[in-house]
Amino acid sequence: MIDTQLAALLSSGSFIIIGLYAAIFIDNIIKKIIGLSFIEEGANMFLITLAYRPDGIVPIFLPGMTPEWFASKSAYPLPHALVLTSIVIGASTLAIMLAIAMVLYNKHGSLSASVILGDKK
Amino acid sequence: MNDLIPLMVIVPIIVAILLNLFSKQNTTVKILSFLVAIVLPIIPILSNYGLHYFGGHAPLIDNGNLLNSLPSYISDGALSTFHIGITYSFESLQRILLFFLFVVGFLCILTTLGERKRIPGSYMFLMFMGLAAVTAMLLSDDIFHMYIFFEIAIVAQVGIVLASTDDLKYEVAMKYLLLGSVGGPILLIGIGFLLGLVGSVNITDIVYAVKNGLINTSSPVFLFSFGLIFFGWLYSVGLPPFHTIKSSIYSKAVPSGSALLQALSVVIFISLGITIFRIYSSLPLLEVFLIFFSLSGMILSLTMAIMENDFKRMIGFLAVGELGYIGLGFGIGTKLSLTAALFQGLNEIIITAILFIGFGVILYLTKISDITKLGGLIENNPKIAIIVLLGGFAMAGVPPLNGFQSKLMLIQSALNDNLPELAIIMILISIITFMTFMKAFHSIYLKPKPKNLIVEDVRVPRSSIFAMAVLIVICIVLGIMPTLVTNGFSGFVGGLI
Amino acid sequence: MIEYIVMIVGILGSILALVQRDLLKATILTGISGGCIAFLFQILLAPDVALTQAIVGAAIVPVFLAIAIYKTQRVDKDD
Repeated sequence: MIDTQLAALLSSGSFIIIGLYAAIFIDNIIKKIIGLSFIEEGANMFLITLAYRPDGIVPIFLPGMTPEWFASKSAYPLPHALVLTSIVIGASTLAIMLAIAMVLYNKHGSLSASVILGDKK
Repeated sequence: MNDLIPLMVIVPIIVAILLNLFSKQNTTVKILSFLVAIVLPIIPILSNYGLHYFGGHAPLIDNGNLLNSLPSYISDGALSTFHIGITYSFESLQRILLFFLFVVGFLCILTTLGERKRIPGSYMFLMFMGLAAVTAMLLSDDIFHMYIFFEIAIVAQVGIVLASTDDLKYEVAMKYLLLGSVGGPILLIGIGFLLGLVGSVNITDIVYAVKNGLINTSSPVFLFSFGLIFFGWLYSVGLPPFHTIKSSIYSKAVPSGSALLQALSVVIFISLGITIFRIYSSLPLLEVFLIFFSLSGMILSLTMAIMENDFKRMIGFLAVGELGYIGLGFGIGTKLSLTAALFQGLNEIIITAILFIGFGVILYLTKISDITKLGGLIENNPKIAIIVLLGGFAMAGVPPLNGFQSKLMLIQSALNDNLPELAIIMILISIITFMTFMKAFHSIYLKPKPKNLIVEDVRVPRSSIFAMAVLIVICIVLGIMPTLVTNGFSGFVGGLI
Repeated sequence: MIEYIVMIVGILGSILALVQRDLLKATILTGISGGCIAFLFQILLAPDVALTQAIVGAAIVPVFLAIAIYKTQRVDKDD
């Protein structure tokens, strides 16, 4: 059995690869956007996995813990703080992309990226 | 007065939110945005050099009482010098660049106020938000903080493009945003690798760890993080393979918006570029990568610019091509070349603003951007023609304008570093840039007027002329007295190498 | 043991979301994989992030997608 950290790293990698595949090869613009949200989630999961510590505890300092024990056990809380921001940014970018996609659908009557974005000039 | 440092970011953000609230009241929007835009350039001048620790979280070594109470493996090791909170550092580079960025921002906002009867508050919101975002990127000493404001800057740029009246703005904005949502997470993963190696996202700490051998700089993880962050940087600044999308972004926005977009891009270029240079300067790959991508960016954009008949797109390509000079300066990597690169970046902000606003006047008068259908406009407004010509001279590097000084410094640094071929390529590219610009200038202003060309009988807004005049005065002053800014830049670079 | 199952469900959900012809089903599957990631964050000792991800990934993003699909078209035409 592989350990949890490695498995989580692998799955975050597969989220990124699935997302990249969708963003590059799938024609439908909504699915492209879904793929981009997977890339975002994979990157977030990668950061969280970095902070993980096997047999660790949640980084919340509770009464009754000594600082030495807490420092030797707790997960690294800095990436958690970073990811919180990054999740919100990802959601807002997604909302803007969907809004533009809706405008483009009204203009071209299609969700296909090759039709919507095809004309270069 | 170190307390003023965070205000440079906070004031534009607060004003942006207020403007969005008062979006319906036209007069309020106008007065508020004008007043704040005029106040902004004063803040960097009044503020003192120094560091600002958010939340008062200074490094442990500055806090004697706390340090003594900690176990010795923290107080004696490198950990005690690490920065705990987000840190803003304000030095000579930041002061000069931010002052000119805010001046250009003010002039862009002024031009917008002059050209439009009704100003939507949301458009002003985006302009101030973009300014705040790049200011935070330039000030920040924290690479993740940079990433957040990088994403905000992308969204603000997309918004500025969407505010124009061009037919294809949605398509271009969508493409830019799609690429941005790939580039952003890739930058984030690169930051994640650095975080995994060092355990901190503060750039000074990372540089400390690299310099003192705390991490293995030949490990694949370090190289991989370099690749990912470099990719994110390429996207954000529009070097190949992203030069086409960047130039179409410029060509789709309102001209005064494009001037601001270029200023934002240059500041992102410089702030992320300095970060990359500081962290990865030990890698021999860095120099090769920077020179290769900058050169190919210059050459590809110029070849596209020569073929172009639409002057908006042409200026867009020229603007992207000029960015390559900054990259070359970073790539050569000596003290002189870095100073020259920073000076060139500053000049670029000013010169492209002149060109965008100047050609924007043509668009305002004729609604045509195809140079084959234009001609003889020098009769209508000779003043603007002369200013635009001077701007083109400055871009091409004709003495005594500022472009000449920075390009001369770049060429000298290339020669000093035994890279004469780079110097020759820079001179050639400068000549081709000038030729392309003169082609556009000739067919817009000097060629006989086509019969079916209708010039609308409206007065050119006085704010546009004022903005261009101020910018050209800055060009001439910097051209005659370059030491005004280069002293500050070389002082900053001296602390860097 | 449960974390491996959640990982596999999340990845399968994301793959299935991308092969659906019906975009509404794809949206629901996106929500499922977002929820799985939120659960994984809990296992990876980040409960505060898990809360945010559960709200954003399992509720807000699918709702945004569903609104966009409702306003455009539901079926992904292949050609």
